[in-house]
Amino acid sequence: MKIIAIIIGKILLFIGKLLKRGSSLPGKIALKIAPNLLVKFKYPLNRIIVTGSSGKGGTSSLIAQVLREQGFKVCHNTNGSNLSSGLTTALIAQSSLTGKIKADYLVLELDERYNKEVLKYLKPNYLVLTNLTKDQPPRQHYVDIVFDELASCIPKETTIVTLMDEPLLRALETPERKIIYFTLAKNKYSNQKQIFENLNNTLCPNCQVKLEYEYYNFETLGKYKCPNCSFKYLPKDVIATDLDLEKETFNIEKETIKLGGDTLYEAYNTLAAYTLLKELNIPRLAKTINQIHSQKTLPYFQNNGKTYRYFNCKSENATTFNHALFKISETKELKDIIIGWSIISKRYPHTDVSWLYDIEFELLNNVHKIYLCGPNKEDLKTRLILAGFNEEILIVKNNLTECKPDILNSEAPYVFCLSHYDYQDIFNKTFKEEQ
Amino acid sequence: MLKIAHLFPEELDLYGENGNIKALTYYLKKENIPYEIINIELNSQPNFKEYDFVYLGSGRKKNLQIIKNILKEYKLEILDYITKNKIFLVTGNAISIFDFLDLYEIEETTFKVGNVTATTSLCNGKIKAFQNTEYLIKSTNNLLFTLEQGFGNNNTMLEGYQKNNFYATTLIGPILARNKELTKYFINLLKENLN
Repeated sequence: MKIIAIIIGKILLFIGKLLKRGSSLPGKIALKIAPNLLVKFKYPLNRIIVTGSSGKGGTSSLIAQVLREQGFKVCHNTNGSNLSSGLTTALIAQSSLTGKIKADYLVLELDERYNKEVLKYLKPNYLVLTNLTKDQPPRQHYVDIVFDELASCIPKETTIVTLMDEPLLRALETPERKIIYFTLAKNKYSNQKQIFENLNNTLCPNCQVKLEYEYYNFETLGKYKCPNCSFKYLPKDVIATDLDLEKETFNIEKETIKLGGDTLYEAYNTLAAYTLLKELNIPRLAKTINQIHSQKTLPYFQNNGKTYRYFNCKSENATTFNHALFKISETKELKDIIIGWSIISKRYPHTDVSWLYDIEFELLNNVHKIYLCGPNKEDLKTRLILAGFNEEILIVKNNLTECKPDILNSEAPYVFCLSHYDYQDIFNKTFKEEQ
Repeated sequence: MLKIAHLFPEELDLYGENGNIKALTYYLKKENIPYEIINIELNSQPNFKEYDFVYLGSGRKKNLQIIKNILKEYKLEILDYITKNKIFLVTGNAISIFDFLDLYEIEETTFKVGNVTATTSLCNGKIKAFQNTEYLIKSTNNLLFTLEQGFGNNNTMLEGYQKNNFYATTLIGPILARNKELTKYFINLLKENLN
């Protein structure tokens, strides 16, 4: 059945290419024909899994890009195809008919809830864990469920690469486990006080006493210690210093690394990828990352005398919205904000809006108008009223394009849109075209 | 001045539940009613004699246990607070903390997740809410909501528990933030207490 499943998968991939449509359908069908197909592949010696609540797409694609630049053959699933069907599609594309993956490195982005299905077959050499945060509450419920599931399925031979800055993840430490840590040292964006209200975890993983922080980089990330036991932040392995989001760089061991963007999450993604690649002894690492990142397009565009920027946040994930708000709050000039989407989740029919109250909209400053669009426009309006915004500046619209006339006539020089992937093309189309 | 105690807001903060406090204080401000929010943290000691309104929201299972162990020590104070008709609101899986009060029984279940529409005698109109809980109330007396959609107590379409002004419900949303009329019900209760 394995060979039939692979052949059919390859045919579907070929048809998809002809139609210029990529999807995880070939993997889905192949898994229906051979449900245990993932066991049957012959994987390369170097297997890397990148998982976490967010940041896995950006991190895994940088790892894959660097390895390709170095001349290695890489099997990698593209951004977002991170369920079993997406992985299988990527594997079929690069496998022989007998299931041998023709690559030097396997770099797979994996949905955090699929580790339990995949890790036992794949036995990765490395598991890069970008973070575990509040995410998709109807599906994930809360972080312990994801953490416990993940901790119980990581094979003993797998080395974990993760961040020291998040105390919750330190609970992965066991005498048998090898963990390589990265950390972003105190920088000019760090805060002495906690600026986020709704945190995933505030307690010591060893003794459940409230942790104390010397500084916070973001949400629960920072320099922590337990006042009751010996648990504390221990910077080691890879330490990034001198973060400069304006210059889009940080330094590691006297080398300056380009972040490929001006946000804190891009800094953490780059640091995660760097740490893994350094462990793999990849030569000219900083130079290769810098070369890749210097080709990235700007995250904003200008038109009609205004600067427009779209923040592609993850639905039902307050942390990704908080990252965007943390960035937007740096812009002190007057701004118009658009918030909305066409759907919360394609995965289930629920309309949970509780996560809107985990987002720190209170960080927004010097706002001209806030446009609220899409099916949850009234929920958003209520949330923003309760965040203290004057009702007069909250404008409800059915969809994003309806905001256009008001935005074009606005005196605000900056326009920021907080949304999911589904508004990105509409935003660009609406505001890039000539007036 | 009204004293509103938010019990363990850092440990019981799943699902944006502090939106309930935001909703309550929004309407108190609108009506120029002076209030003080007292955040009770792990190392602080609640004094139930002082409060006019007590609120607890959903939490991670291990945090629910930590908080339950703390609050058990205050069983008599809490029962006295309830007897005096003072307001106590418990939402989401935090209902599981208070089985030690012996007012209602709880049952642990697989996660019950979904939209909720309901009616209640507390206010007019439809209640819009959400459920994401691994605990439900088992008792079927002193009920709070009649569900059109959702998971009720002991497999019924009736949900929650009320005794005097102690209100326990698995409904989140945040429920006050999403339901203006329900928030106004509590504001009116607080006003009565002020008088």
